[in-house]
Amino acid sequence: MRMLLLVAWRNLRQGGRRTLLLGLALAMVTGLLVFLLALSRGVNVSMTRAATTLSSGHVNVAGFYKATPDDVAPLIQGVDALRRIATENTEGLVRVLDRHRGWCKVISETSSMWVGLHGIEVSEEDALFEQLTMAAPATYVKGDPAKARPSEPRRLSEPGTIMLFRSQADRLGVQVGDQVTLRTETLRGQSNTADLTVVAVADDLGLMSTWAAFVPKDAVRSLYGLKADTSGAVYLYLDDIDRAPAVMAHLREVLTEAGYTVMDHDPQPFFMKFETVMGQDWTGQKLDLTIWRDEVSFLTWVLTAIDSVSFLLTGILAVLIAIGIMNALYIAVRERTGEVGTLRAIGMGRRRVLALFVIEAMLLGLVATSIGAALSATVALIIDAVGVPLPWTAARAIFMNDHLSLVVAPAHLIGAVAAFTIITGFSAFWPALRAARLPPITAIHQTE
Amino acid sequence: MSASTAPGAPASGPIVELSAVTKDYPLGKLTVQALRGVDLRIERGEFIAIAGPSGSGKTTLLNLVGCVDVPTAGAVRIEGQSTSELSEKQLTTLRLHKLGFIFQSFNLVGVLDVFQNVELPLLLQGGLTSADRKRRVAEMVDKVGLTPQTRQRPNELSGGQRQRVAIARALVTRPAIVMADEPTANLDSGTGGAIIELMKDINRTDHTTFIFSTHDANVMGHARRLVELVDGRIAADHPVSEAA
Repeated sequence: MRMLLLVAWRNLRQGGRRTLLLGLALAMVTGLLVFLLALSRGVNVSMTRAATTLSSGHVNVAGFYKATPDDVAPLIQGVDALRRIATENTEGLVRVLDRHRGWCKVISETSSMWVGLHGIEVSEEDALFEQLTMAAPATYVKGDPAKARPSEPRRLSEPGTIMLFRSQADRLGVQVGDQVTLRTETLRGQSNTADLTVVAVADDLGLMSTWAAFVPKDAVRSLYGLKADTSGAVYLYLDDIDRAPAVMAHLREVLTEAGYTVMDHDPQPFFMKFETVMGQDWTGQKLDLTIWRDEVSFLTWVLTAIDSVSFLLTGILAVLIAIGIMNALYIAVRERTGEVGTLRAIGMGRRRVLALFVIEAMLLGLVATSIGAALSATVALIIDAVGVPLPWTAARAIFMNDHLSLVVAPAHLIGAVAAFTIITGFSAFWPALRAARLPPITAIHQTE
Repeated sequence: MSASTAPGAPASGPIVELSAVTKDYPLGKLTVQALRGVDLRIERGEFIAIAGPSGSGKTTLLNLVGCVDVPTAGAVRIEGQSTSELSEKQLTTLRLHKLGFIFQSFNLVGVLDVFQNVELPLLLQGGLTSADRKRRVAEMVDKVGLTPQTRQRPNELSGGQRQRVAIARALVTRPAIVMADEPTANLDSGTGGAIIELMKDINRTDHTTFIFSTHDANVMGHARRLVELVDGRIAADHPVSEAA
């Protein structure tokens, strides 16, 4: 084996320009794949962060309340009891909170827009305020930013306050200190409004923050005419987000045993279930348990699209490279027919000849892809550290972030290197087999 | 069956035996008869030259004895074992353990140095410890007088030095038979003579059977037996002293 590696390595070095060009192509394609995977991973991380900051816990105990068979509200009653049961039966629970959910129109003096309301209790939301950064007035204030008031998100503990996101403030033409009006329909179908003061404008968190606004719980309760022991959803945050499905499954059993009616798991966000639930012939309370990924399932197309483009692009390039490697090795086999004949004549078996060429290709693959992956990972880490801003709204929405976020996963690096090394080895197989099958006499004659 | 052990092979008797060997090569629509009913017995420890003009079948005969080719008809027996009855794998094993090759064009592995070229057959054979293998290679390199060039690659050596490497590589496994196809053809007469003397010396000391082809009268003079081929047939087979 040592000798095969030595021969392979030295033949590669002797290959000069051919080795260099093939290695460069392999390095570039591996680098591209690593970069695209880092982008996908970055979007995934941004999406997870946005989802679990804005609209979901790792596991959610939510539900629907129907006063009549024809209406529906995203409500849970007896929220204190639900929180207690969930807390006592969730392993690895880091924190628990509950938020009201609502949907209303925000009206300013110059514009209006629909937003999803999140009614929060400030004392429970330290993590939310840690995750959010407040927008610089220059990014949304129409007049002199120097005269704009600073954002004070913790003033959401005061009644009649609201925190918007930068793109919303920009569209509504408001800044901290301005008044907006919220208008919605109560559960009884009556129109209701509330005047709130903007106390904070946060930086966008991708697409999801374009329709999310935070208000005190009381604001939602008074807007919809709700009792004190109601809420929208109990959010459970775990020490390991990957355990969310297992925790949800366990809580389903616990809550069912506790006498709650729990809906079948439907991996969609709560607002996409209204139509279905509205058409169901029941009244009262039913619980709906979801995990964070369910609440952003309508956004997973972004990840699917990035991954599809990544694999399609790298797949096409991999095929082209495989053809290149096969061609180069066919040439190498032809050039080294005499060497093959000599090796066969002195007693090298066919398998070893096969191994010699495959090892040579895989060695090239391993070295080139490792270099490509390492360089690409370095570039990705630098871009992520620099925080390259995304200038277009559409790009910010798709990438779920204000800046380009690239996350390099070691598994992706290893996977990309392994995959392209194996592809290189497979590409070398047929030329290598041809070399191995050469009768020694033919190979020797080639030299002579 | 392992060709290296060759069960059933007679302990005495010819080491190589060709019986009515014919070898045809297709050449377009024609068939070229390279060998036509050749009968030949070669005993252990012989130092035999195969002579004849170009196209007389010298190389074909060596290829058949060297198990890199099989006869169209007739039988080639190495230590009593017919090569036609051996599988490809068994032929490879036979070449590795029993036979050594010295080529006209040296055929060294260009990316390996002298030591590594000589070490290669031993690595293919396996079975030796690293220390034993290195010692044997060093001895063989020393025997052909290339110790100072141990770490040089073939392209850094003269023609004579390359052929010495080829000899060392052929002999390092201590084969029963060494085939040399015109080993001096690419060398000047002085170097060629030295190479033949080296082969003769090894034949004398190790009793290795040497079969080499040549059309150089001087080289023929070194052999103890001369087989002359003409048009694929043995035209003469006699001790060299008689020929001289």
